Order: sequence, then C-alpha cells, then structure tokens
Amino acid sequence: MASSSSIASKGSLDIAGEMEVEAFRRLFPHRYYEHYLAQSVRPDARPLNHARETTIALGPVTSVDGSALVKIGESTMLAAIKLEVMTPAADLPDKGCLAVDFYMPPVCSPTVRPGRPAEIAPVISKKLQDVIVSSGMINFEELSLISGKAAWMAYLDIYCLNADGSLFDAALLSAVAAFSHLKVPLVSVNDNGRVTTVPGELLESKSELELVNKERRKLSFKSIPFSLTCLLHNKYILADPTAEEEDIMDTLVTVVVDSIGQLVSLYKAGGMVLANTSTVKDCVALAKRRAAELQNILLESLSEMEVD
Amino acid sequence: MGTMEVDRGDGRTPNQMRPLACSRNILNRAHGSSRWSQGNTIVLAAVYGPKAGTRKGENPEVASIEVIWKPKTGQIGKQEKEYEIILKRTLRSICLLTIHPNTTTSIILQVVGDDGALLPCAINASCAALVDAGIPLKHLAVAICCGLTETGSLILDPTKIEEQKLQAFACLVFPNSPISVIPKVSSSAEEPFEHGIITSVTHGAMPVHDYFNCLERGRAACSKISEFLRRSLQSDSSNDTSKAR
Amino acid sequence: MATAPTTYSPSQALERRQQQQRRRIFKEEDWVRSDGRGFNQCRPAFLRTGAANAASGSAYAEFGTTKVIVSVFGPRESKKAMMYSDIGRLNCNVSFTTFSTPIRGQGLDNKEFSSMLHKALEGAIILESFPKTTVDVFALVLESGGSDLPVIISCASLALADAGIMMYDLVSSVSVSCFGKSLIIDPTAEEEAFQDGSFMVTYMPSRKEVTQLTLTGEWSTAKINEAMELCLDACLKLADVMRSCLKEAANAG
Repeated sequence: MASSSSIASKGSLDIAGEMEVEAFRRLFPHRYYEHYLAQSVRPDARPLNHARETTIALGPVTSVDGSALVKIGESTMLAAIKLEVMTPAADLPDKGCLAVDFYMPPVCSPTVRPGRPAEIAPVISKKLQDVIVSSGMINFEELSLISGKAAWMAYLDIYCLNADGSLFDAALLSAVAAFSHLKVPLVSVNDNGRVTTVPGELLESKSELELVNKERRKLSFKSIPFSLTCLLHNKYILADPTAEEEDIMDTLVTVVVDSIGQLVSLYKAGGMVLANTSTVKDCVALAKRRAAELQNILLESLSEMEVD
Repeated sequence: MGTMEVDRGDGRTPNQMRPLACSRNILNRAHGSSRWSQGNTIVLAAVYGPKAGTRKGENPEVASIEVIWKPKTGQIGKQEKEYEIILKRTLRSICLLTIHPNTTTSIILQVVGDDGALLPCAINASCAALVDAGIPLKHLAVAICCGLTETGSLILDPTKIEEQKLQAFACLVFPNSPISVIPKVSSSAEEPFEHGIITSVTHGAMPVHDYFNCLERGRAACSKISEFLRRSLQSDSSNDTSKAR
Repeated sequence: MATAPTTYSPSQALERRQQQQRRRIFKEEDWVRSDGRGFNQCRPAFLRTGAANAASGSAYAEFGTTKVIVSVFGPRESKKAMMYSDIGRLNCNVSFTTFSTPIRGQGLDNKEFSSMLHKALEGAIILESFPKTTVDVFALVLESGGSDLPVIISCASLALADAGIMMYDLVSSVSVSCFGKSLIIDPTAEEEAFQDGSFMVTYMPSRKEVTQLTLTGEWSTAKINEAMELCLDACLKLADVMRSCLKEAANAG
C-alpha cells in the first residue's frame, strides 16, 4: 500500500509525504504506533517510561487561600482552596472537613459541551476525594478551631483548563500543590460567637479576644500521594499517555504511591489487556520513580516561592 | 501474617466466603437477567440488547455497552457514576464487540441489599445476566473483594461492618478460564490466563507487598467462584428452553 | 461527614466594614484609586495565545486581577436539530469558577454575559466564510477583579484570531465608570460596586466601527461624549497591544 511504503522511507519525506503520514496516523493508528513502539519510543521521541515535562506554579489566584496551576505536558489544571467556617459534626468535634470537586468546563476539550458535562468528571472527583482522605495527607485535627464549635471546611475546586491525557495525575498534583501553598488565615471570635478574620495591623490592639490560631499557618503533611497513569498495550507499558494515545489504546492503570512508600490506590478498570503480576510490579516501580521526581519538582517550586 | 486468627463477626475463617447464590431468568421482559447474592449483599442485573444505534460520540464500528446503576436508597451521585464507569469498562473487555457493530447493550443493576463487597457482587451478577441474554463473550469474569485489616491480616469478602474497620480493601476481577475443545499446549514460561487482572480498584492505603498478597488470595478464591459459576450456568441452561424476547 | 453543612466565610464581616469605609472615600472630591492609577489609566494587560492545545484557538488575558481564558472550537458540525443555514453560526458561553468571586459561588453559566459576548462578536466575524457549521466560543473567568465583560470580549477576539476564523477586524473593548462628576476608566471590582453609572464600548479600530455599546445609569450628553472619546482612545491602544501579541506568537511558532 502506498502509505506504508512512505512510512518505510520516513526519513526522506517532503511536504507531500508529510500529508500521507498524517492521514496514516488518523486512519490506522494502531499500526502507526506499532512502528514506534518496536523501537521503544513514542512519536514525539519520548521514551516509553518517561513522563512529560511537568511545571507547577503556586499562587496564581489571589482571592483564595491556596492555589496552584499544574501543567503535565499540555494537560493544565488549576486548583484552588477556600476555607470557610462550619460547626463540626457531633461525633467528631475536633476535625475539620474537606470537599473536593473536579470540573471540566467546555474550555478544556472539544468533547465537552455546555449542556452535556463530561462523563469522567464526577468519577475523577470521587477518586480524588478518596485518595486524598485515605492517604492521610491532611491531619483533620489541624483544621479545627474551637473544639465542638467551629472548624475549617476546605473547599477544594479543581478546574481542567486543557485536557490532554493523564487528567487524574495532573489533578492530584495540583491538589497537593495547592495544599502546600495554603495559608490558613488568622481569625478570632467576635461577640456574637462568629469567627471573623483579623487583618494583620490589628494584631497588637486586640486584647480580650484571643486569636484562635496563632500565626498564618501552613498545614503539615504526613505523607504526600503522587500518581502515575500507565497505558498497557501488548507487551508495552507507556507512562503518562496523551489524549491521542488514550483514545487508541484503552487499558489504563493508575497507581498512586505516597512519600512513605505505601500503595494508596491501584486503579485498573477493564481494558483489553490483562495485567499479570510482573506488569503490575513494573507499573508500581515506575510510579515510585515518578513520585520521587514530582517530590523534587514540588519542593523546588515551594522554595522558589519562599525566596520571593 | 496470614495465620493469625481473625475474629470475624459471623464466625468465618479469613479465607472463607459467604454463601453464594445465583438465579437466572427471573425477569421475563428483559433479554437476560440474574440475581446474585453473597450473604446479605444482593444485586439484580437486567440486560437489554443488542438494540439498534449507538449514542453520539461512540465508535459505530463496535458494539457499545451502557450501564445504569440504581442504588437501594437515595439519589444518584458520584459513587454510582464511578461504579457505572468501572462496570462499563470491565464488561467491554469481556464482550466480543465486533460481532454486532453499531448496537447498544444496556445493563441495569439494582441494589437489593448492601452488606459489603457490593462491586464484586454486581460484576458477578452482570456477567451471569450477559450469559443469560446470549451476548457473545470472550470469557467470563469473576470478582472478589479482599481486605486488609488493621492488624495486617487478609480477609476475603468482608461484610459492611468489617469493611468500615478495614485499613484498606481491593476489588479484583479475574477472567474465568475458557475450557476449549482443542487442548491448549501449555507454555510454561508465561503465566496462566486466569492470573491476568481485568480490573483492580483499591480503597485505602496499604503497603505494596500486601497488595500482591491480596492478588494471590484473590486468585485462589476466584477459581472457586469460577467453578460455582460454571456449575450454576450449566444446570440452568439445560432447564430453560424458551425465553421471552 | 455531614452532607452539606452550612458554612460561612470568616472574612465576610471584615469585608463589609471595609466596603463601608470605601463608600465614604468615593464621595469625597479628589481621591486616589486604590492601585495608584490615574483616572484615565487602564490596567497593564498581559495577553497570550495558544494556552489550550485541545482547542482550535485559545487565549489567556490578565488585566490586573481579572483573569480570563477563552477557547474557540470550530468551525465544526452544527447540532442535528438545527436547520440548514447558508451562513455560519456563533455559539458563546461564559462561565465563572466557584472561586472567582470572594464569596464562594456556584459557578453557573452566566447567560447574560454569554448573550452580550455573542452580540459583540457577531458583527465582527465573517459568518459567510463557514456556512452550515458552528463556531463555539467558551470563556472561563478564573478570577473576577472588575471590568469582566470587556476583558472577556477582547480575549475572545484574540482567541478567534488564533483559531484562524475570518473576521473584519480585531475587537477590543473597554468600560468606564462614572462617580458623580468624575469618570474613571477600567474600574476594579470595588470601584464597580459603588459606581453611579457604567459605559462599555466594543470597537473595531481599523474600521472605526462600534459593534456594541452598553450604558447604565444617568448620563448627560456631554458626559457621554467625553466617555466615548476616552473609550475609543483606550480601545485603539488595546488593539495595538493585541496585534503585537499575535505577531509575537506568529513569529515564535
């Protein structure tokens, strides 16, 4: 077939040849990828077990208490945390609460329309909530203000600004970065029993109303979860797939490990390829490597912020 | 680690599952239906299909599968949507999708009782219902729930009370090995077919090696469930001659 | 965990007190804007195209604290329910994030802004160039710091240019608030809250045509003329900034 012969002599193609390659990529995606996978690379020359370039920017949104913008390749997520006061539940008087919401606005992808929300959004939202709570990253007792009367409710909203594969990874990283950036505001109790914020200048003058939390605090983390999504195809494991790859090959495995080495979640939902133990072990090893990478990137961006 | 005696509320050993029961063809208007119960967790599955046409956005060259999950009480929320997506992807991988292109098969699950291990029960029920409806499948799938207690020992098929006290649990789905007419030449280098994982959904943080132990236990238990499934499907199929379609 | 506990933001009371203080300031004769700008000075603009690669064209705009991202998809197939039309269709949608306002909101689509964006853009796009298809313009306001709609409109026209949709000209937009006798341009959110009237213009500079004009409050003719001159001048400058942004993107890519 004419198209496959043009693939064979790919190195010496001119503009006319380029069009054939693009058409081949759309019409026969599996064969197009097989050519590259046989040499352990992907079409953009990324090795199979490398993730895309990741950048974290802390504090892009100024009207909230903590925010972060994360880009993994082209997938962009914006996470923001707003703290509001609530009365804690009767059986847990010392614990705050967390509500996670993941939105995919029509901006992010051509498949999402204003009337038709993305199917995957509530699923990712629930998975994020489960992972963040079960990894023990947040100590809810730190979110308590007055035992039994007032505690912080953290509303974490994550917006997908561009969907290009590995949405869960980017969302989890943005949530973690936003929590690292979070500064709990200073509050005190006024005469009506309501909690109000105290602006910095009034600190010295406040006499009888003691400040409920002493300084603009950052939360402390026991262990931070990081995730990696891999795609399984025949015998290959592709780390951090793009949206195009996810469309073609449908077996996804998402592994979440935390900084103390525990497996927080291993999510594989169906797919054509069955995973055997050795594949699972490889995925977990890749995830651990990626967790170390992401930890460094997060620490770097935190320290950059301290300097400013 | 596994030899400690765990005190389970209903007196089971750590490796013992609750009594299984499966009945098929209980709804006469559905193309296929089944009711699967594990102890007090009961799920009713109904299959309608293949029906003509796919939804917009789905690939028309293959059949598409649609799953609707109805909880026992309450409104449909994110948890139900998550179950729907997991089931849809799991069942897509066991169906032969190219036989009926441009059709939709709907599977509706109704939770009748929820006493722990709800997702595996639902997967087993839908698999039996698909067989009842005659949808072409590559192989069957069996699901099991395996939990890690706070003391570090593994238990199978937890009840709801046990689930809440667990440190972590995993729902695993393995394929049921096909018995074919032509005996396969066994290649000892690769792992047997039944060891591949179709689906694995974990909940809670656990050390990595405990997860692999869960896999081992899960596989062993799934082979027992496979036998039960095969027996119940064979005995029923000899009885029913006509079905309402 | 409680399903939906009632929560309140601790900074509400403080903000109300601050607002009351501000109200008094605005009534005085000569006052300085909180960010130190002159009355006729717009905020510095940061514009960038190509923010989202899943879309045909996209743009990100930051005017002070107002941050908006706009994606353009199309021209793509119209919905099956639509009738045949031999000119193209434009579909606009504006939504706010839940954290864009200081008090956490619902994040619903803003239908009023969507229809105003539609009216501002439809005069500028050459709809005959894409018959039977639809161009979708989706805007998401990340942070609302005042003068939202003009920023959305300018950003949307930049995104349309990035997507290669044929237009008569770039569209830029500016709004002016009136406080008693004085007019200030490009108000921030707190200034907008106490304004006596507002005046928004959407302008195509090279063709010298206004595509949309919105006026609220009581304005005398002289004031309207003065505001119009201010706006048109600012729109010209903004259009130059947008053009240079597009040229940079074209040279880089």
